[in-house]
Amino acid sequence: MQGVSAPGGQPPQVISTSSTILNMREKEKYVEDFDFPFCDESSKYEKVAKIGQGTFGEVFKARARNSSKKFVAMKKVLMDNEKEGFPITALREIRILQRLKHENVVNLIEICRTKATLHNKYRSTFYLVFDFCEHDLAGLLSNVNVKFSLGEIKKVMQQLLNGLYYIHSNKILHRDMKAANVLITKNGILKLADFGLARAISVAKSGQANKYTNRVVTLWYRPPELLLGDRNYGPPVDMWGAGCIMAEMWTRSPIMQGPTEQQQLILISQLCGSCTPDVWPGVESLDLYNKMELPKGQKRKVKERLKHYVKDPYGCDLLDKLLQLDPAKRYDADTALNHDFFWTDPMPCDLASMLAQHTQSMFEYLAPPRRPGHLRHHHHVAGAQPKPAQPVQDSGYQDRVF
Amino acid sequence: MPYWYYDKKDLQNTPSFRDGINNETENRYRKEGARFIIDTGSKMDLGYNTVATGVVYFHRFYMFHSFRTFPRYITACCCLFLAGKVEETPKKCKDIIKVAKSLLTEEKFGSFGEDPKEEVMTLERILLQTIKFDLQVEHPYGYLLKYAKCLKGDKAKLQKMVQMAWTFVNDSLCTTLCLQWEPEVIAVALMFLAGKLSKFEVVDWNGRTPKHNAWWDMFVEDVTMELLEDICHQVLDLYSLQAQPAGAESPPGAPASKPPKNEKKPPSGTPPASASPIAAAKPPVVTPIKNGEPKLEPKPSPRYAFPPFPAPPPPPAGFAAPPPGEPWHVPPPRLPPPPRMSLPLVYAEPPPARFGARVPPPRVPPPPVPPPPLPVSVPPPNYFPPARGPPPPLRPYYPPP
Repeated sequence: MQGVSAPGGQPPQVISTSSTILNMREKEKYVEDFDFPFCDESSKYEKVAKIGQGTFGEVFKARARNSSKKFVAMKKVLMDNEKEGFPITALREIRILQRLKHENVVNLIEICRTKATLHNKYRSTFYLVFDFCEHDLAGLLSNVNVKFSLGEIKKVMQQLLNGLYYIHSNKILHRDMKAANVLITKNGILKLADFGLARAISVAKSGQANKYTNRVVTLWYRPPELLLGDRNYGPPVDMWGAGCIMAEMWTRSPIMQGPTEQQQLILISQLCGSCTPDVWPGVESLDLYNKMELPKGQKRKVKERLKHYVKDPYGCDLLDKLLQLDPAKRYDADTALNHDFFWTDPMPCDLASMLAQHTQSMFEYLAPPRRPGHLRHHHHVAGAQPKPAQPVQDSGYQDRVF
Repeated sequence: MPYWYYDKKDLQNTPSFRDGINNETENRYRKEGARFIIDTGSKMDLGYNTVATGVVYFHRFYMFHSFRTFPRYITACCCLFLAGKVEETPKKCKDIIKVAKSLLTEEKFGSFGEDPKEEVMTLERILLQTIKFDLQVEHPYGYLLKYAKCLKGDKAKLQKMVQMAWTFVNDSLCTTLCLQWEPEVIAVALMFLAGKLSKFEVVDWNGRTPKHNAWWDMFVEDVTMELLEDICHQVLDLYSLQAQPAGAESPPGAPASKPPKNEKKPPSGTPPASASPIAAAKPPVVTPIKNGEPKLEPKPSPRYAFPPFPAPPPPPAGFAAPPPGEPWHVPPPRLPPPPRMSLPLVYAEPPPARFGARVPPPRVPPPPVPPPPLPVSVPPPNYFPPARGPPPPLRPYYPPP
């Protein structure tokens, strides 16, 4: 802990007018000159390239101007259309990232600001500054030259589950699991990123269910309980995403690419079977269970359809456990980490040597669009390159239910 | 993460002080700002955590900026606005401003400028940078409940004691204690105080070991009796200062020339221009306003929103059920007031001169004086000798120093 001996730097001399309040100009000058002791200026980094579009702003690769020349990722906090000031999502992400310190969670270094000047109407722009990671999983998977061995896939999944185990133990839900939010350094260390939709798990008040928004998670990775309107969900929503990502390690593109929520549920049913109270006790009490047209009589075909890609039977079995319709039956991170998949030959092995063959950064944002999913059903509405519906990140408080 | 605790020297040499505002005035500004956050928050049904977080932001903010640069009430609004978002109880900026307007005089609201919402938005960025985005703040409330769970003894008395401590924690927000001590230490001190005042003597507790001299040794280390008493006094001083004139409005009444720096004047020597009899007659700022009039009937008032805040503290497990008709979280306004002599647990001999550095007075067991039947939340003016009230009153019961 660093001590603050004297409170702050000496503020600039304030010119006192006959009036007692600083006038506008004096205050602007004051703000412009004040050397915020804890919030560096973003000019200490030099932007190199735009590498992505986060939940609430653009992401840049940048380099420290000091001697370290260290690379960082800078995520701009988009505030232009915020009626309610600094976005609550950004505040959440900051608070959560400050709490989470783990090898498999992206590291927030600091928050920087631009100088407040007349130019920006004395309103700084803020950047979250992270350790730079060379790749994201979506970018890697979209590059056919990047080939993962079974041991390497195990290493990816093991780190991903380790990260989830850590955040879930710390009572945080990620709520936006997808390949593009899984970063991998050139040394093969995986980092969960983009906590822009994350939130703390609140302890449900006695007898009162939580009321989280279910408009989270990119559609293709959204679990059935959210699609059916559940608002009292928990860590299993991230585990479903982990299952989708795991399958994608072999299929190389998202396994269920529904264009609408209804279609997504149909795709899920075609893979995992119909949502019935038999396989999922309690599903009938979810809000949308009776309001949506659900496929009836679908049989579960997870292993059957994935075994063509996933030759390893343990891998198939773990996928089957992660892609459980009933969130209560879905494996949690701890159980998944104990699965034989990780404890049988070939054992998880380091990614660094494989990644060393690739000198170019690979990000989904920079990559050409990936192929449509292999697992799409033949009678599914064919369309051009589908885009996954992003979770809602818009418009004011009334839309968000926390 | 930054370190947010200061010693008393730092707390005197603040940006406001260097800007010509004396410590007494600054403390009053802090108190008024905190009280305003509490009142605004209560009126908007914000929970005690949100309100307390807002107040802590407020106190931290003014360790870096002067009250002359940033008038207190708009900063207070901004702190509450940010705290609402951080604590997941967001309120719209315009609603906060609306409530603020209803609570302030036109003159005070004037400091919000022509476009109050825009002012708050601009200020929010300055606030965030000033507090280094260190948004997560812990408060003593949770610790009170945690500690209470471990104490053995009469359940009803324990409950009463916790409620009293809760009230003290609420009031402590009006002091700079959150800039001096961790919430655990404040919780211990104010529970200790409540124990003394409610005559709840803790003789045994769960998890006791021979190493423990007092129950709090289980939770905090190196907390001396001097420290506890110092903390208690800072809270109790709130109740004795209320007879002071309301003083100048913010920003400090600007004398033609700035008051000479580093020279403390007795506050009474410079009665602020606006300190009219009317101003002085206004309800004292530090009095827990929501306590309503000093009523003695034991019916919980619906206006009794604060303290504690509307959100009920979860009763500690194993706690006695609230008496029927009186929900646990509605603190009985009829707690026995600090018995006249018992605070001065410390004051068996003349207190040290309060103007200099306060020397912790020797500890003496409180004389057994029955508590007068007044609610603690409405301490009579001058209940305790005015700490810094000018001029120092003669105390009939001991010779002036």
